[in-house]
Amino acid sequence: MHLVFLYIDPGAGSLVIQAIIAGLVSIPFFFRNAIRKTFGRFQRKPDDGAAVATGSSVSEDKGAASTDPE
Amino acid sequence: MTDRPAAEREPGSYRDPSGFVFRRDGVLYRQINHSFADDWATFDVSGLHSALVKEGVLVADAPVSLDLAPEPGAVAVIKPEAIEFVTHPFEWSFSQLKDAALLTLRAQSMAGACGMTLRDASAYNVQFKDGKPILIDTLSFERASADQPWKPYRQFCENFLAPLALMARRDGRLGQLLRTWVDGVPLDLASELLPRSSRYFAPGLAAHIHLHARGQRQLSGDSGPNPAAAPRAVTMSENRRLALLDHLERTVEGLHLPAHGTVWADYADQTSYSATGTASKEAIVRRMTEAVAADGGKVAWDVGANTGRYSAIAADAGFWVLALDIDWAAVERHYLALKASGEKRIMPFLADIAEPSPGIGWGNVERASLIDRSNADVVIGLALVHHLAIGRNVPLPMISNLMARLSPHLILEWIPKADPMVQKLLAAREDIFSDYTPDGFRAAFSRDFEIVEETPIEDSGRILFRMQRLG
Repeated sequence: MHLVFLYIDPGAGSLVIQAIIAGLVSIPFFFRNAIRKTFGRFQRKPDDGAAVATGSSVSEDKGAASTDPE
Repeated sequence: MTDRPAAEREPGSYRDPSGFVFRRDGVLYRQINHSFADDWATFDVSGLHSALVKEGVLVADAPVSLDLAPEPGAVAVIKPEAIEFVTHPFEWSFSQLKDAALLTLRAQSMAGACGMTLRDASAYNVQFKDGKPILIDTLSFERASADQPWKPYRQFCENFLAPLALMARRDGRLGQLLRTWVDGVPLDLASELLPRSSRYFAPGLAAHIHLHARGQRQLSGDSGPNPAAAPRAVTMSENRRLALLDHLERTVEGLHLPAHGTVWADYADQTSYSATGTASKEAIVRRMTEAVAADGGKVAWDVGANTGRYSAIAADAGFWVLALDIDWAAVERHYLALKASGEKRIMPFLADIAEPSPGIGWGNVERASLIDRSNADVVIGLALVHHLAIGRNVPLPMISNLMARLSPHLILEWIPKADPMVQKLLAAREDIFSDYTPDGFRAAFSRDFEIVEETPIEDSGRILFRMQRLG
């Protein structure tokens, strides 16, 4: 049992599972982006970004795509 | 080979054939090998290199002469900007590890926009500089091909997501698992340890940890040594890759520590001595740190820093301060407070001076022990000695000896047995500490140090000592 364990490369499974998970999460990702594209341009004002003080270093670079509604 | 100072390869830099880090005369350099020449060129030409440095995501570097390369096959040698003090991921609090994780994802996002990708996501590739996480591995970026999955996915989950999830959902101390598993927390273990609810009510954790762990087991051919069972050449569209990275970022951002402190994190707010005592202690610490600074001291180790009241005083005296504490919640609070105030001169991290981080990884030298990383000009130990002497049974001469290994200057607080905090430590045990007296303390430390001054703290029986190492 343990001998077998030593010869497993979990990386192989990680690649396959990554593709499966990416497939799953790409559906809401696609819709979120579509909604943002449709409505985002009416909502965004220059001041909005400044109100979010913390974590700005992480999110500022990605612009609209990264702000999380939680 | 040449008449230059000999080059010494950094012990942690052996895994990557595309280059390595070495020192000459104490100065850190990085050799980039021919095998990585194309990726290195693209890194520059695409503008990614300069953008990452400009945004403070990647440590700055300068090209130096190729003659400095210690081994054949070099295509470039660079001199990265120095990091004052290297900390290890298991010494970080939750938010420090979380910020390092988000930085890694940000680097990937910037790389993706330039047609490149991160090729690893080890937490050891991140260090803290000026109060912020920063990538230190300049060779982490390679050219991306259109349909490839995100290579470091598994590494990211093991190095960042798993320990963060365990800290947030189970216990803040579980970041210590990174000390045992240098390459990251195994996902099957993380999946086992996480609460059951995270399988059903936390989609990010359900996917990237639980399902991921299951997938590793079932899709890696653990039914037997049958290589044919292992799948190859997984492809993934760019959109899916972006979706995956976006989801990882949301998952990391969605992790928070439960809102309760520990005994220690509340400690600074409820000390046993009066306002007069506090003011007096602050004034004396200020005067003593200024005296050591005037003597040329640059780096202070505040051992048992708690949430950093006295670290701030040392910083004001001109020190760059490493604020060590045994309690993750205190380090967490300290880090968040410093982050909010923009303070750059203090680096809090998790360390137990009575059981310091050992050297770990290959040959026990890949990641240096805490003592080997000592760079202190002064150790400040306030309300520390009684914890070591009485709480941990360390004889006073041994405490003196360790301090002498750490630093030429010492600022130590003596707390008498009658003090309520010492009485608390003695409450449930026999008092076997007959040497724990001011004279016993002076005698023990006089073996290694000269006592330069001692000043009683007003309105308490405590004394502050400033000492200088003998010889």
